[in-house]
Amino acid sequence: MTQHLNEDDLYRTSSQYRLWSFSPEGLAALRRKTHELAITRASQYATKSNSYDGQGGAAVDCLTSEECLRLVQRYLDQVRTTSDHFKWPIPVKATAVQYLARFYLSNSPLTYPPKEIYKTVLFLACKTEATHMTLSEYARRISTPADEVLAPEYKVMQALRFTLDVRQPYRGLKGVLMELLNLAEGRVGEAEGVETGGAKALQAEMQALEMPPKTAQTMWRVKPAGKIESKDQMDRINAAYSAARTILDGPALLTDAYFLFTPPQILLAALHLADEPLTSFYLRTKLPLDSDLRPKILTTIAACAELLDSFSGSHILSKDERAALEQKLEGCRDPSTRDLVGSHAVAKRGGDGGEEAEEKARKKKAAREKHLKEGPAHSPVAKSSSLASG
Amino acid sequence: MSRIAAPKAAPVSKRDPRTGVVQSQDDVCPVCKSARYMNPSLRFLVNPECYHKMCESCVDRIFSHGPAACPIKGCGRTLRKHRFREQTFEDIKVEREVDIRKKVGATFNRREEDFETLLAFNDYLNDVEDITFNLINGIDLEETNKKFEAYTRAHGKEIEENAQMAVQERQSFSAAQKLERQQARERREAARREEEEEKREVEENRRDVLNRLASGADAETVAKEGQRVQLKKRMDRQAATERQRQLQAAEDTQSERNGRFIIKGLRTKQKPEPEAPVDPFGGLRLVDSYFTLQDDYIWEGIQEASKDIKQTAGGYDVRDYAHRSLVAAFSGLGVFVADEMTQRGQLAQNDCAVSESVGFKDAEMISAS
Repeated sequence: MTQHLNEDDLYRTSSQYRLWSFSPEGLAALRRKTHELAITRASQYATKSNSYDGQGGAAVDCLTSEECLRLVQRYLDQVRTTSDHFKWPIPVKATAVQYLARFYLSNSPLTYPPKEIYKTVLFLACKTEATHMTLSEYARRISTPADEVLAPEYKVMQALRFTLDVRQPYRGLKGVLMELLNLAEGRVGEAEGVETGGAKALQAEMQALEMPPKTAQTMWRVKPAGKIESKDQMDRINAAYSAARTILDGPALLTDAYFLFTPPQILLAALHLADEPLTSFYLRTKLPLDSDLRPKILTTIAACAELLDSFSGSHILSKDERAALEQKLEGCRDPSTRDLVGSHAVAKRGGDGGEEAEEKARKKKAAREKHLKEGPAHSPVAKSSSLASG
Repeated sequence: MSRIAAPKAAPVSKRDPRTGVVQSQDDVCPVCKSARYMNPSLRFLVNPECYHKMCESCVDRIFSHGPAACPIKGCGRTLRKHRFREQTFEDIKVEREVDIRKKVGATFNRREEDFETLLAFNDYLNDVEDITFNLINGIDLEETNKKFEAYTRAHGKEIEENAQMAVQERQSFSAAQKLERQQARERREAARREEEEEKREVEENRRDVLNRLASGADAETVAKEGQRVQLKKRMDRQAATERQRQLQAAEDTQSERNGRFIIKGLRTKQKPEPEAPVDPFGGLRLVDSYFTLQDDYIWEGIQEASKDIKQTAGGYDVRDYAHRSLVAAFSGLGVFVADEMTQRGQLAQNDCAVSESVGFKDAEMISAS
């Protein structure tokens, strides 16, 4: 009767696994499709506008898919900085960045320029991750009118397919830190299916670990004196943790890591980049040598580490480049989404027949004002002077 | 000359509040012709001999000096004053019929138990009804009366016996009801008396304690003694009532056994099995396959919280946090997204999955299934 689930089964139930995980080819195909659709739309409204102007139907200079990607990445970074400006905890940051990335999997910057979307996304993330700030406060601090922040929200929700959970690696990283510290103290003895010599042996093995290679990102380096004490061991672990944390904060968010790998793989990859011997040791205690998943896991982690490593801060657009791209975007963006506030208001009011509703509203307003001006004495209600005999 | 009769107005009538008899304003005594209009307390009486009604004053006037002939034209039967009575039914015919039935019933009063078969009883009832019918409608009056008298002479004694039995039954029924009512009253009385007794005892005890305290005894011992005495009294009383109840129960069971009816063929009810405790997870269990949760983690972030009384007072266990973190660290480690997604894509292609559009401007979203 009882069905036993392990942690992997638990992850397979999450919406991140079901809807927002892709193979690299799948991800590329999705992006390509989105971009193509956007381009076809662009040509449609471009020809329309051209015919209005009376000019020849010259093909509008649209952003290429590469430029779109880089623009989106620039705004992912912008979301990160804004979240730090608000001093929000890192889950908010990660969630916001992922929301924006997911939004631009199915929509193109040609239709919804990221400048108008990223504030909404950040607000949504702060609501989701329980660090809610009131809309007026947020709008004030980000110097944007409140309805501009709210207008794209429903579109964002639709693009997210109403799944707001983003699985993140940060809590897991803390768990790994806890376990490593206990290992260093000689408290952890057994592991499932893994042959260990006991807690003390593990501790000794840890102390005998080789130094992190020069390419490692951790700040810790062995003292020239040579002998490792437990305090040094703790220092090493903590340094590895903070280095991994920095990697998770930056490159992990700005690449496609969340789409291609699971949070444990991402965090172990970050640890791998930070302090490789430590991570290998840790994995040795976790995965039995004869399990068939072990090589696969190791290769996946290595692939993720490569992805994280290949990212560099210089990839992100500079301010001028961004400005140039945005100007180009102005020329080729979809004009029907220009007034997001207006369309949001119409949708709230009831949508269809918006123009007629506007007309009616205007007439009513005019009649009311007239009535107020002239006073009730001039009301058109007929005085019943003649009583009809029944 | 033709006379066009004026349409008769409907008689105005109302019901006498005391007797409930409908009185119409046009009630006129056939003998003295006095109407209710002149005489508001007009009452009509009827004699079972000829069922002619007349007003009370006429009855007094005509029959006070002994039996006299009925004053109504065409009926000369001798009537006596004491036989006059108030009419019970609106319809005089019904009144007559009811009287006849009562008379017949008084004579022909056999019961079902006296007959061997139901058919015989029904035949008897049929005969009785025939006689009644004849008497009511005046058919073969001579013969019927002869039958009547013959029966009465033949079975006089039995008739009397049956009458006696009926009377006795009625009496015993009312007696049983009376007994029940009395018992209820007695019980109420007993309860009230007990309450009073208790109150009185409490008062006595209190007074006793006060007296003893006043006479200078030690407060504690006095209090303890007082409580002990009170308790003893209560126990005695409870024991007495218990004994009485047992006696009563014994009596009841005696009488019950005599008068109880036994129901044959009752189905033995099987007690339902006690429900298993509800499993909130519905049979699912999470198993930690990548780690074993330790009791204590030396990381200082968690150490502070485990010692902080503000955190632990509400029952929060720091190990929950550690467990959550470790589950988060490993949930998905063995999930290979690239392979599984390509697999899913192939399956979707094989099934010719349709990609739906969810109302966007740009993209078609591939459905997740």
